[in-house]
Amino acid sequence: MDFRLSSEEENLRQIVAEFVRDELARLEPEFANAPDIFEGSRWKSRVKSSDDPEIKRYLAIMEALEKKAEAKGLWRLDVPKEYGGAEISNVAMIAVTEELEKTSIPFEFGNHVSNILYNCKGEQVDKYLWPCIRGEKTSAFGLSEPASGADPSMLQTTATPDGDDFVINGTKMFPTFADVADFVQLFARLPGTAGREGVTCLLIDTGTPGYRVARSIATLAGTEPCELVFENCRVHKSQVLGEVGNGWALNQAWLGNRRFQVGIRAHGKARRVLRVTAHLLRNDPAQTGRFAGRTGHFIGELEALRMLTYLGAWKADRKLDVRAEAAGVKLFGTELLHRVIDFALEVAGPTALRRDHVLAKAFRHARATRIVEGPSEIQRHIIQRELFRGGAASLELR
Amino acid sequence: MDLTLSEEEKLIRNIAAEFVDKELIAREGEYLRQRAPFLPPGAPMRRDLSADLLNEITARAREVGFWTLELPENFGGSELSMVARVLIHREFGRSVLPFRPVSIPGFMFESGYGEALALGTKSLALAFDEAHKTGELSGLQTLYRQEPDGSILRDSSIFIADPHADLFLFPAREQGTQRLGLFVIERETPGVTLTEEVELNTDATAARLVLSQCKIPNEQLAGYEYEAGALIAAEQLNIAARSLGIGMRCLESSIEHARNRVTFGRPLAQRQAIQWMLADLSIDLRTSTWLALDAAWRADQGLPYFEEAALAKKRSAKMAFQAADTAIQIHGGYGVCKEFPFEGFYRESRLMRLLYGREEELDQARGERFIEA
Repeated sequence: MDFRLSSEEENLRQIVAEFVRDELARLEPEFANAPDIFEGSRWKSRVKSSDDPEIKRYLAIMEALEKKAEAKGLWRLDVPKEYGGAEISNVAMIAVTEELEKTSIPFEFGNHVSNILYNCKGEQVDKYLWPCIRGEKTSAFGLSEPASGADPSMLQTTATPDGDDFVINGTKMFPTFADVADFVQLFARLPGTAGREGVTCLLIDTGTPGYRVARSIATLAGTEPCELVFENCRVHKSQVLGEVGNGWALNQAWLGNRRFQVGIRAHGKARRVLRVTAHLLRNDPAQTGRFAGRTGHFIGELEALRMLTYLGAWKADRKLDVRAEAAGVKLFGTELLHRVIDFALEVAGPTALRRDHVLAKAFRHARATRIVEGPSEIQRHIIQRELFRGGAASLELR
Repeated sequence: MDLTLSEEEKLIRNIAAEFVDKELIAREGEYLRQRAPFLPPGAPMRRDLSADLLNEITARAREVGFWTLELPENFGGSELSMVARVLIHREFGRSVLPFRPVSIPGFMFESGYGEALALGTKSLALAFDEAHKTGELSGLQTLYRQEPDGSILRDSSIFIADPHADLFLFPAREQGTQRLGLFVIERETPGVTLTEEVELNTDATAARLVLSQCKIPNEQLAGYEYEAGALIAAEQLNIAARSLGIGMRCLESSIEHARNRVTFGRPLAQRQAIQWMLADLSIDLRTSTWLALDAAWRADQGLPYFEEAALAKKRSAKMAFQAADTAIQIHGGYGVCKEFPFEGFYRESRLMRLLYGREEELDQARGERFIEA
């Protein structure tokens, strides 16, 4: 048993820690009043079209940072070696994100590629995968629909075969950044199929006739997910990602892959929120006395979350079944973050609800995480399913 | 990072699991069953292992090496790592039968009491009453005064959980210097009295240890601040490990019962209310398990581990209480019957939450450290 990172992973962690300390932390005052758009990962493509000089300034800062990160080798970290990436382990990726989350600067080491795009074949590789790796193209993920969210097997969008083409009809809800993406990974079903059968993933370019981004939708979190409409949208069968009818496995792989990152991000955000409250409390003994206990409780819970996240990532690296761990991390992490922010607002009082206050932002941003990529109730369902399948022994130490 | 048990640890875990299944859980029925068909008025008597059964299990535990886990090699022990000890105590926690490895701090085997303790002719208890509030030594009230031929302990009176022990490890601070001394007090020492024995809510008793004009010879000063702190951490890890065992047993039994018990035409296992209780419990069990193993691993590596041990104890004991509560709820009326183990776990875990640091105090201290950092 060894809870330490390997020396290679530890080196990487230190390089990231230095980058955060030397390059990012000093920008915090500058970003304190940045617009909400700078949350999330794919905002760049969105702000590129903006004429607002203030936004242009932030964009320039971010692009300069990206060059520095790339120069330090902090780029394409999770990209497979065959595509020129570092292909670091899940554990190392968690360590990287843990360090990045120590600052509020919304910076990520790109380019993150939707993991299912590694299923690209033939011409798809040059048309989609490589441009995404190089950061020239971005993708959107079209799974949810007006009447299908937590249970994606209810999706109704159809892909009807017609000669060498598929004809797509249906509506997709909430793909973020679809309005600026170059293509969408669309999940549709073959006619006459139901449930998980017949689900097929197609890569559909923005601008394909019959596909339009109908509108963007303002949300609590400041994100602006889109509504996509497909009306007799015709795409060639070569646009199918993976095999016809295996789309269910792809959407599950996409969702599962992200949950450990969600856990460590929730951990980092919650710690930063508690740092803010600690700063407020520090010089006020009476208030400290009142709130230190609950602060300490949350610090302990965050340690538990951190442990669960690393455990899951480590098991994923060993190619073990991590569905229960992934669901546990998503559930525990997002619910805990929510409780921490709720507590922080109690400590800080109503001034913290000023629109641009860091706690107010955290408050707005965190709520959606208990829903996005599988609501808490679905996570509990997955956990109990594994529990009743494998019994308590499924939790046993190996 | 490697989160697998070593082959040796797996072996130890499996031997302990087998021992607990065969020697303890298999006998629970006999221990838990009510002997009379109708109970006399008033509360049932405190349960205890019969002397015969206790001797039999003790002999078996000695054979396997589970009588005390801290036994050094020169006394026939195997110097188990902290991780191994957590794994063993966790298995013992799965049974409600009141038998567990005796905890004897390693340094006691180097004292003049080593042989008697190793043979089991003398027993040892920790008189750490004042540490139960905070889980730390800062609140220690008892003072001592060093004299050439021994230490005079200031008169005091504390509650102790194991009043029938022959020896007590007693921490006190030196008047003036505040240096902590850890004393071995013999039961027969003049000025030592044990009074007011009371039954606890668990199947155990406590009593008041009263010191009056007590003088302890120099050779009975067994340790200092670090030893006392390490003892608290070790007890916290013991509690954490036992709690994990309780959690495992309660979860396992609850899953089994939920599969079999049918209400309104469907097994409980298909009811969301039941599924969610168990889903939440499994996360708490998983996280607490790894926090406890992490703390134990840190101890084995020589890294600081007191804070980690305190957190593991707090979360695990709370989890065990929740697990017992859940198991009782899922088992319904059977849950509160003394013929089933769950009400015993419920009482035991409630006490463990109060030992070596109450939750609020541990949280408060952790929070203050974070705020000041």
